[in-house]
Amino acid sequence: MRYGIAVNTENCMACYNCFMACKDEHCGFATPVSAPQPHEGQFWVNIRTKERGDDNRKVKTSNVAVMCSHCDNPACAKAAKNGAVYRRDDGIVIIDPEKAKGQKAIAEACPIGAIFWNEDLQLPQKCTMCAHLLDEGYDEPRCVEACPNDALFFGDLDNPDSAVSRAIAAGRATPLKALEGTETNVKYLNIPTVFLAGSVYLPCDETGEDPADGAIVELKNLKTGETLTTKTNYFGDWELENLPENEEFEVRISFPGYRGVTLSAKTDADHYVAEVVLEKG
Amino acid sequence: MSIVRTYTNTLGGPAEVQTENGVIRRIRPIKLAPDDAKGWTIQARGKSFSPPRKVTMTAIGLQDKDKTYAYDRLLYPLIREDFTETPDGKNRNTENRGKSGYRRASWDEALGLVAREIKRVQDTYGKESVTACTGSHHSWGLVGYKLSAFKRFFNMLGYTQVQDNPDSWEGFHWGASHVYGHYWRLGCPEPFDLLEDCLKNTDTLIFWSHDPDSTHSCYSANENNLWRRWFKELGISVIYVDPFVNFTAVKQGDKYITPRPGTDSAVLEAIAYVWLTEDTYDHDYVAKHVHRFDEWADRILGKGPDGVKKTPKWAEEISGVRAPVIKALARRWASTNTMGGSGVRVGWGGACRTDNGTDYSRLMVQLFAMQGMGKPGRNMWTANAGAPMDYNFWFGGYSDPKSTIANEPVANKTAVNCVEQKLYRATLPEAILNGHDEWNGDGFCGQSLEQQFNHHVYPLPGCNKVHLLYRYGGNFFGTMINTNRWADMYRSPELEFTVSQDMHLTPEGKFCDVILPACTVLERTDIGEFCSSGNSGYASHGQSGNNWQVIVYQKAAIKPLGESQSDYWIFSQLAERLGFGEDFTEGRDEDGWCKRFWETSDLCKRIGWEEFKQRGYYIPGIPEDWERRWAFRWFAEGTECKMVRDECMKDGKLGTRTGKIEFVSELLEEKEPDDPVRGPMAFYKPSREGHCSPLYDKYKLQLITPHPRFGFHTQYDQHNKWLWEVPEHRQVVAGMPYAIIRIHPKRAAERGIHDRDIVRVWNDRGEILCMAKITNRLEEHTVHLYGSSGMYEPAEPGKNSIDKGGCANILTSPDMIEGRHIPGMTPNSTLVEMEVYKKPLKPGMVLNELLEKANGEVR
Repeated sequence: MRYGIAVNTENCMACYNCFMACKDEHCGFATPVSAPQPHEGQFWVNIRTKERGDDNRKVKTSNVAVMCSHCDNPACAKAAKNGAVYRRDDGIVIIDPEKAKGQKAIAEACPIGAIFWNEDLQLPQKCTMCAHLLDEGYDEPRCVEACPNDALFFGDLDNPDSAVSRAIAAGRATPLKALEGTETNVKYLNIPTVFLAGSVYLPCDETGEDPADGAIVELKNLKTGETLTTKTNYFGDWELENLPENEEFEVRISFPGYRGVTLSAKTDADHYVAEVVLEKG
Repeated sequence: MSIVRTYTNTLGGPAEVQTENGVIRRIRPIKLAPDDAKGWTIQARGKSFSPPRKVTMTAIGLQDKDKTYAYDRLLYPLIREDFTETPDGKNRNTENRGKSGYRRASWDEALGLVAREIKRVQDTYGKESVTACTGSHHSWGLVGYKLSAFKRFFNMLGYTQVQDNPDSWEGFHWGASHVYGHYWRLGCPEPFDLLEDCLKNTDTLIFWSHDPDSTHSCYSANENNLWRRWFKELGISVIYVDPFVNFTAVKQGDKYITPRPGTDSAVLEAIAYVWLTEDTYDHDYVAKHVHRFDEWADRILGKGPDGVKKTPKWAEEISGVRAPVIKALARRWASTNTMGGSGVRVGWGGACRTDNGTDYSRLMVQLFAMQGMGKPGRNMWTANAGAPMDYNFWFGGYSDPKSTIANEPVANKTAVNCVEQKLYRATLPEAILNGHDEWNGDGFCGQSLEQQFNHHVYPLPGCNKVHLLYRYGGNFFGTMINTNRWADMYRSPELEFTVSQDMHLTPEGKFCDVILPACTVLERTDIGEFCSSGNSGYASHGQSGNNWQVIVYQKAAIKPLGESQSDYWIFSQLAERLGFGEDFTEGRDEDGWCKRFWETSDLCKRIGWEEFKQRGYYIPGIPEDWERRWAFRWFAEGTECKMVRDECMKDGKLGTRTGKIEFVSELLEEKEPDDPVRGPMAFYKPSREGHCSPLYDKYKLQLITPHPRFGFHTQYDQHNKWLWEVPEHRQVVAGMPYAIIRIHPKRAAERGIHDRDIVRVWNDRGEILCMAKITNRLEEHTVHLYGSSGMYEPAEPGKNSIDKGGCANILTSPDMIEGRHIPGMTPNSTLVEMEVYKKPLKPGMVLNELLEKANGEVR
């Protein structure tokens, strides 16, 4: 058995329920596997929000609830002396609150910044996956229990029917970059890469332009030559999500009876490429 | 050590409270037990939809333990240091209110002083010279609520009641009700069974001025997030319209449209233009149900007095929304089954809290009428209520006249206020400072449309002015408008005595001579249902915004901290000192009153009193084949109305004079045919404070102040430091948590403002400090700062000092929709300017210094 959490970032609204439930559980209270978390300043579940896009016509956010990933072979354990960081049989990685005293190196070793240094207690601290509650018979950690959006799932990674395994099977694995190549018990799903978007309109009369519903938009990757195709919707909007990053594209827009337009775009970041008004042709 | 489990209702959902050795250990959402009632399953388009057996909470509810142990909790009665109990009420250093320190007092001293002052003022000037007012829902529970214990006490005492303005839905209250009646829901439409209708029949949802993931149906926690994921599963297109690409839109919107604040009416008129010219509206429905359609249609088509066609291009020039976007929205709305509306209760939202909010609200209803409102899949609905529920099970809610300890049958005897004089909350400072006020309407006008024309004068002829103000819960600096006026009011010697009764030291509490420390819901016993406003009040069946009906025995988890006491205890002690103690309590303690709610409702038919207390909560559940009462279907199809709230509904009519949807209001035409703002017909007018107004030369940014995502009214914001670690809410610099103000990159660049700069935001009404967040999520002329700040931190109270608390409402327009005669607030018609604040930041909060002085020895 191996306990794990799946973080489905697509469903995460950044409601901060997990963040608050974690604080409610740990601030000011010791558990058998952790010293009290200070009232402020530590985020065992930390919501990292990124605003995506450069125009209010297409802007999105990506919310990733980052927590200790309970690595198979944790960097923090390697940095620890006296076996101050250990892995339980159920896969949960624990920092021993006694043995870890004074070992700032443990906090500094974490590649994703999920371990916090408690200056008062001279102690590195982090998520315990609420091991103390699981040991008492709770079904799931506080953060997962508090999530109202099916953005967090918990269970046995070794059991394909567990909630966590089913969520992982249904999602797109997107490990945190800093942990790439590391096997972890916390799995991040559906973190987006880059989108390109735009709108296509048609000239009309004094009432204003019309939306072009069903215009063909072809994105040609200038490096690979591969072409992705989509159509505008009833608003005349198009969007291609999860594109390969840092590449150049040729964007060709066509609509029957109108002159086509070719634009260029880069996936260095999320972009609203352009609003295009096609000319009769 | 063993854990004791109790249950409560927070403002962010019901909770299991775990206590260990007299200390609250944790707050958790309730997971239903196997023997709790079954829920509902909706079958739609070949799929089954039912909620999980878990009740959700929000991030604020999960902080109720922290709110209870908060640094700003009041633990002892306090008396203003430089207050002197002069026998004539004069020379009391009232000018120092808001900056004086406090000294600790015993309950005996504090209650004795309050009782003596109430008696002195009433003996000298008459019963009417005491006034009292409340925030809404600083705590949940039917005993402690403002319409319950507070109302019982003050009605028995006799006092000048302060009428609440409908501050969250002004435009619908004062406007939309004249189109379709529904004054019995204060201008908002009905939600019954629209979740099922939508899942079965709707293709498009339009959420205008609506951020459901932030506003949580007011009180139904995160219950209906799930519904929005169901919409996605079914391919229902969800379109958001808001100057800010709000927190729901940015994650779940299929399209977001960002009009300039105050221009929504123009966009709505242009949609109608598309329908009229393309002939895509419901002719039969209009012919049968709409009154004076053609006159209005002529105006849209350019045949009205102004001769202007309301084309999408016309609206684009006003609103900044591109014409093709308006056309696409109009065509989609007409060609598919569409539901939508404004804000959490479908008749709310920031767009209706504007100068021309009555136009916007009326046009919104008119457009839904043009597309057959009430037919399957076509309705006014914003997915915040309308889940299946058992309409035949009755347990009262907070706005039910029958479920308050002020009234029978819960009380043996109803408490009646003997004073006729009234005040109006939105203009209370003017009334006190000028000694005179006049306004129309009775605050919430839920009895008739004509009620909106009742004229009030303060002081009422034959009555004296008020000289004692008693504040119960909350902080109007954060929620009213141009609130430096409140600082001026409090410092006036006209108010000889001011009292605050609250759990925390609020900015407004600091202006009171005596502060009485109340305890939180975790420290007292009460009873109440999750998100229930009641089944007969103005916002009836609000609990259908939940997936589960949850009635909670809110048992005290711990003893009150310090010397704080329950609100009920405080009122009963004062009643005792004023000679009506026994009449007030009728011999009951709080538990005794809770039992009265059980035995006067259907709850007693379902579960025994002791068993209910033992279990802690009860889920009424729903029959297998529950009764449907589809909203407005009775009106659209002429079927029986099962939700008769007014005589006219028996005949299938709405509450307008004609019983139809009036595109030209008969009542308004009779009462105020030439009103420049709310004439008989709604149409777009530029805001008196907006991008077409003279003030725009001086102040170029349009401020919107929506209801907060991380807080509830003014609760939590100041009390819970964990919220200061939510970077979208506040960020701490030099010991001060600065509120986040959002600005578009173009406007920021013009002003040399960088992300996370501390900025000064100002206009002629005052100035505040905030932290700038540069974001593309805005219409480019808009700045966004959440209203309802729990903090107000000026160096000196009043207009001449900068507030570090980010109290947005210091800046908002004090203009009513139309003078005092349509007395609705218009905070989203506000212009400001903004610059980088270059002076050194004074560390820390004023509040902390004051607390140290008042409560220092125990901390």
